[in-house]
Amino acid sequence: MANVIVNRVQEFLKKHPPFSFLNQDDLASVASQIEIQYHEKGEILFEKGDAPEAHFFILKEGQIELKDGEETKDFCDEGDVFGVLALLGKRPYILTAAVLENSLVYCIPVNAFEEILQRNSKVALFFAAGFASGQVVIRQDLSAGQKARGIFKKDNNDHSLLIFSDQSEIRFSENVVCIAPESSIQQAAEKMAEKEVSSVVIINSDKYPLGIITDKDLRTKVVAKAISLDLPVKQIMSSPVITKKRDSSFSDLYLSMIKNRLHHLILTEDGSAESPVCGILSDHDVLLSMGNSPAVLINALLNTTKLTEMRSIRDRAETMLRYYLENEVSMDFVASVMTEINDVIIQQATKIAKSKLAPEFPEMQGIKFAFISLGSEGREEQLLRTDQDNALIYEDLPVSVQAKAQNYFQLMGSEIVEVLLACGFASCRGEIMASNPKWVQPLSKWKEYFSEWILSPTQESLMQASIFFDFRKITGSSSLTDELSAHIYEEIQSKKAFLSFMAQNALKNPPPLGFFKDFMVEKSGEHRDQFDIKARAMMPLADLARLLVLSHGITGINNTFKRFEKLGQLEPSYESLFNQAGKAYEILMRMRALEGLQNDNSGRFISPENMGKLQRQLLKNTFSPLAELQDIVEVRFQLAYFRK
Amino acid sequence: MSWWPFGRKKEDQPPWLNAYLTEAKKSIPGIRKIQQLNFVVLDTEATGFDPKKDELLSCGIIGIEEGKIKISSSKEWQFASDKSPGKSATIHGLIHPKNPIEVKTFCQELLQSIQGSIIVGHHIGFDLDLLSRTFQPFGFNQFPNPKIDTMGLAVRLDFGPQVDWNRVRKEDYSLDAMCEKFNIPKEDRHTAGGDAFLTAQLLLKLLKQAEKKGILTYQELFR
Repeated sequence: MANVIVNRVQEFLKKHPPFSFLNQDDLASVASQIEIQYHEKGEILFEKGDAPEAHFFILKEGQIELKDGEETKDFCDEGDVFGVLALLGKRPYILTAAVLENSLVYCIPVNAFEEILQRNSKVALFFAAGFASGQVVIRQDLSAGQKARGIFKKDNNDHSLLIFSDQSEIRFSENVVCIAPESSIQQAAEKMAEKEVSSVVIINSDKYPLGIITDKDLRTKVVAKAISLDLPVKQIMSSPVITKKRDSSFSDLYLSMIKNRLHHLILTEDGSAESPVCGILSDHDVLLSMGNSPAVLINALLNTTKLTEMRSIRDRAETMLRYYLENEVSMDFVASVMTEINDVIIQQATKIAKSKLAPEFPEMQGIKFAFISLGSEGREEQLLRTDQDNALIYEDLPVSVQAKAQNYFQLMGSEIVEVLLACGFASCRGEIMASNPKWVQPLSKWKEYFSEWILSPTQESLMQASIFFDFRKITGSSSLTDELSAHIYEEIQSKKAFLSFMAQNALKNPPPLGFFKDFMVEKSGEHRDQFDIKARAMMPLADLARLLVLSHGITGINNTFKRFEKLGQLEPSYESLFNQAGKAYEILMRMRALEGLQNDNSGRFISPENMGKLQRQLLKNTFSPLAELQDIVEVRFQLAYFRK
Repeated sequence: MSWWPFGRKKEDQPPWLNAYLTEAKKSIPGIRKIQQLNFVVLDTEATGFDPKKDELLSCGIIGIEEGKIKISSSKEWQFASDKSPGKSATIHGLIHPKNPIEVKTFCQELLQSIQGSIIVGHHIGFDLDLLSRTFQPFGFNQFPNPKIDTMGLAVRLDFGPQVDWNRVRKEDYSLDAMCEKFNIPKEDRHTAGGDAFLTAQLLLKLLKQAEKKGILTYQELFR
């Protein structure tokens, strides 16, 4: 019997998966069978090895720690489902549930749920993907988790034909240029010229479409055959015509153009040819409406040096990015496309700077230089225009021209940075940009920088190293960056201890276990109670990938998830762990970018409170490979000794 | 055959009432652990605040067994009232009930639900006075069940059993104040079911406190 109490319980359940996937009847039935317990701090809810109870749990308020012996495995917060082994395996509990904060716990009888589990594939998937807290073997979860997330999402917005970003942007001409069948070819051509269109539709007195003449028809059927221009158009028109209803979906319209090899598609009131013409869609209209495709954007960028235009193209790229992210397009593809776009912008910026400075510095034109990106753009991972980390290397020069060259490249670097700012890339807080004289240097100086970082690592230099080691040439001479890479490789080989320092640095941030309420969120300041996804989750993974790849002597792979992929090949025994780490990183990138797009910021700080339950769990699951990797690194680089 | 109470002997009581009264005679052993006790938390809403005059509008209950609030035991009844809604109705927002219930049916169902349980409520005396009037036509005006007033329990836990009531600020022990103190979200406040649910959560929390003070058994709870 539904009453205010059952409804209240139902309201709570409805907000949290897997209950959010239940239909109204199932939800009401489950809610009416709930039992509520209250436990105070210090109590034990169940002990590892205990026989499973006849119910599993969802936390209404408070906090529960799941642990194995003294080792914390997970923290449960409001809405977390745990103790599900009772439901799934009917095996003894494998973890102990200790009450950390006074907790109100809702118990869901297994009986009430078993049947639903059979029927409802989403609920089954929720458990299969390991979204419930304290579920075993979290490591194998991530791909299932990704898949699950994709499936859960699709309910809301199911796009069938994904290439078209926004239907509302598709425009077609409503003023169709028409002509009667008896008119001459000459008249048709004149009318097309006058209206500046590439086609004319031949209509009868009811405005029904009879045929069409296009530019191409004039070329192939009239001029090439040298027929008289006084002949009526009906002799050369393409007929019958294929028509569509004006408010058909864009994908429908576009598909019929592709299928029938049409350049122009006539739209009529009811979609048949026995109905008045009301519009025409050309392949040019289609191209315009597909403006948010990578090829179109990159092409447009290559054809402009106007800052406002570059900016607006990069803004459009963001629309495309959002679309890709929301539709779970593979991160490899998304990152490559965005990197390509960013790179093209930098290349154009360099072009702008060079041509601006050329009149003043004619003698500098032949000098080799390389503009390099660092940090996330260096790693080909920059999706949002969060900050620009870049620098400039030029070839070693005789002392006589050095001062002048320094001046020239300094101006060039500043100019490029300004263009990037104008295109919306935020400036780097640490001033690691090509506008800073310190980071515009000849090759020999760069070698010195790296040698110093490697030979006498300090806290600060390790921080910088982590940014600079991911450098990547965007434009200019590869020979400079190749030489620098070779130098770095040799230095590291000769001073292996450096890797231990790097490892130490990579372990500075232990993986967060839970992060709600007072856990692992920022304690104070502007970002109080928010989770720093960059410092807490992404940087540690990127640091570990860089370290391990360097320890194998590999240079040239900058991308974090590609580094993990490579590591999986190099160390087959850890292949699955590396794969998981790569996946985790992709998930984090996607989350951060979506967060940033939603709030129009860097996406770095996430409010766990505002996250969906699934997102939160997915995020939590990404920490698991991180913890394992840190353990391996700790042993491999013998850090226990260092730390003392 | 009338059920008019005057002159009726006990033997004439309807069987549903008999069953209840027989069960009520069984006493609960004093050493029974609190965890093993059955509670029914109850709340009523009325047309006003005077139990002698005002009429019952709705009643909500929820049971607690083995320390667990059983949602399946929750019930809510609403009544048709002749009285024009007074001041209280503006608080409860109750004017026209959705599913009004026959008084007799209600009495039967309620007794069935509270049979063998400890009745709990915040200011439970008010609710019981009001209910007694509803039961009068059946020759019955006292609930023999043991009763706990969560307000009294809260005061006792704070001040000990020999409390000087003059020292107690009553407003600190209202249901609203208690909910705030014990972090219970005040959802569905001023509906009979909602208040019963809040009071049930309050009882669980109070019993935990009691346990810490060494109140572990039935007799210690009712000392």
